[in-house]
Amino acid sequence: MSSRVLGRRGKKLDLRSAEELRAERRKGRTGQYLVLPGMIGLALFFALPVLVLLAMSLYTKPPGAEIGEFVPALQFSNYAVMLEAYWPVLLRSFWFALIATVLALLIGYPMAYLVAVRLRQHGLLKGILLVLLIAPFFSSFILRTQAWKQILSDEGFIAQTLKAVSLLPADGHLTATPIAVVAGLTYNFLPFMVLPIYANLDRLDTRLLEASGDLYANPVTTFTKVTLPLSASGVFAGTLLTFIPAAGDYINASLLGNNRNTTMIGQVIDSRFFRVIDYPGAAALSFVLMVSILILVIIYIRRFGTRELM
Amino acid sequence: MDTETQTTRRRARGSSEGADLELTGICKRFAEFIAVDQLDLVVPSGKFFALLGPSGCGKSTTLRMIAGLEAPSEGSISIGGQDVTELPSHKRPVNTVFQSYALFPHMSVLENVAFGLKRKKDREAMPKAKAALEMVELGHLATRKPAQLSGGQQQRVALARALVNRPQVLLLDEPLGALDMKLRRQMQLELKTIQTEVGLTFIHVTHDQEEAMTMADVVAVMNEGRIEQLGPPRELYELPRTAFVANFLGKSNLMRGTVSGQEDQLLSVDVAGNRILLPAARAVATEGEIMVGIRPEKLQISATEDTTAGMNRLDGIVKDASFTGTTTEYLIEVEGIGLIGTFAQNRGQQPGEMGQRVFLSWDPVHTFGLRGSESELAGVEEA
Ligand SMILES: Nc1ncnc2c1ncn2[C@@H]1O[C@H](COP(=O)(O)OP(=O)(O)OP(=O)(O)O)[C@@H](O)[C@H]1O
Ligand SMILES: [Mg+2]
Repeated sequence: MSSRVLGRRGKKLDLRSAEELRAERRKGRTGQYLVLPGMIGLALFFALPVLVLLAMSLYTKPPGAEIGEFVPALQFSNYAVMLEAYWPVLLRSFWFALIATVLALLIGYPMAYLVAVRLRQHGLLKGILLVLLIAPFFSSFILRTQAWKQILSDEGFIAQTLKAVSLLPADGHLTATPIAVVAGLTYNFLPFMVLPIYANLDRLDTRLLEASGDLYANPVTTFTKVTLPLSASGVFAGTLLTFIPAAGDYINASLLGNNRNTTMIGQVIDSRFFRVIDYPGAAALSFVLMVSILILVIIYIRRFGTRELM
Repeated sequence: MDTETQTTRRRARGSSEGADLELTGICKRFAEFIAVDQLDLVVPSGKFFALLGPSGCGKSTTLRMIAGLEAPSEGSISIGGQDVTELPSHKRPVNTVFQSYALFPHMSVLENVAFGLKRKKDREAMPKAKAALEMVELGHLATRKPAQLSGGQQQRVALARALVNRPQVLLLDEPLGALDMKLRRQMQLELKTIQTEVGLTFIHVTHDQEEAMTMADVVAVMNEGRIEQLGPPRELYELPRTAFVANFLGKSNLMRGTVSGQEDQLLSVDVAGNRILLPAARAVATEGEIMVGIRPEKLQISATEDTTAGMNRLDGIVKDASFTGTTTEYLIEVEGIGLIGTFAQNRGQQPGEMGQRVFLSWDPVHTFGLRGSESELAGVEEA
């Protein structure tokens, strides 16, 4: 065992023997080896595909080539062409993802708070609600979205009711609208918002809330000055986990949208790859999407996340 | 003066000062468990009130009900004549120094201290908070986070955070528990000074009897959710009314006996064949089997018999003598009674060696009488 004592002037004196130091170094190296499989996996399944994608985005179609035939090149104009054609779709994707993230936060935070703080003493009820929060993960994403399509369809209960009370015009729709797409995004990514916030609030020391009340803070102030700042890292993680996949999603837009004013960038990439068979264009768009998300996330981290990530 | 003019004057001066605190018939039940049982308590404005009792007797629960963090199951609470039973905690003129400190981990020490003042929209929140930090000698650590402080430093921040608001009633839940002796004494003085200067009403929960006795105007000894006895420290010490108080607050020698007669306000009690006198006014029970008590320091111990008339006398064998520096503590086995504890100042001559026969005597006026139905061991372990 090693022992450290504070010498005069507070300097640490290292009293460990050479043997102990060697043992410690060996232990350190074992840790490094354990990381190796992960690193190899990351290189194989992430770095390599990204590089391939990057190369592909610069390919060009030789004159008279068949469909799907491209040759390596450095054709940067692929990016210009794609951005020119699809920047509104890209913007819309981020816009939809942002609204869905905000909605998921507004819905998800109270849910997480209820389960983690209010029901802390009620083991059974808390457990049931927690399972319900995770339950969506047990069924397929596409299946759930398909179900939403049914729920919001013109013949569905909700649309019929809204029409009956004249909240929706008789010829109105719920599906094939931006609202349906955003609602689908919100619903599908809600658990990604709730779970990190839940994990965070579960550790919240409620005695701090009592102290805040004792120091004249009303419940609203207690929330903004104590609860929210203390759960900021959960909110931060939740918003990232919701926004990033939502921005690149194409299932919701395909199933619940109408392909005119609801198209999201994921759909475009999908159709470029599999229908138009324009691999370089699809790759360029994918890359643009990835980089813009990265930039947005970096700005976000800089602005809000520093304290939590440091 | 009626309460209304008092309140107006207080407002006009713009400062809060202590207010009467009154608990009436307070009960607190957690499911089946009764944590606080029929508590009646009046703490006059500006008094230093100490609540003393063993762990789990309901001290913190009582404070929490006063602060509004726990609703009483029964009874009412009023502060300065106003019923606050239904008032949420943030509207009560009360602050608490929590047993667990409960400092906000995401705020600096200074922000923690300024928190209450800011909620009250005090313009001088920051300077006042700085001054309060200076008072607890932590001015140099203002920008640190609570996690970067030692336990004792955190405790002082908690103290400053509550004191700086000058609440009408300040609740202190073992506020000095984590401090070393020197700092503890210093903080005790500081607290007492603030309390007398500003005239705040202090409710101070402590395990430390000496702290309770030296600081408080009134001490209450609590046991199993009830107040056993309440009064000025000297009265509580000199005239305990229950075996629990006699044992919990200081030490007592308790002996069982039977009342054999009364003359001139003096009861005579037969304790294992010895005639012990005690003033009838100092006895809770004056008939039948009772318990006679005497504090160790009231006993005279000597190698020869004290023949002064009217003294209570016992004799026994020295079973244990332990030297503690200024005094030597003795345990003396008295036939038919058991072990009696006492001590003698170390002035040179030793009253008795181990195994020797010694004589004990004391003035009957120091004797007290308790109910015979009580256990003489009540409160011994907890103390
Ligand atoms: N929320 C609660 N639910 C159930 N029982 C509780 C609750 N809070 C306190 N109690 C019980 O009430 C009793 C009194 O608790 P309290 O915290 O007031 O004790 P205390 O006198 O402050 O003790 P200590 O000196 O150890 O702080 C204890 O037996 C405790 O277990
Ligand atoms: Mg307590």
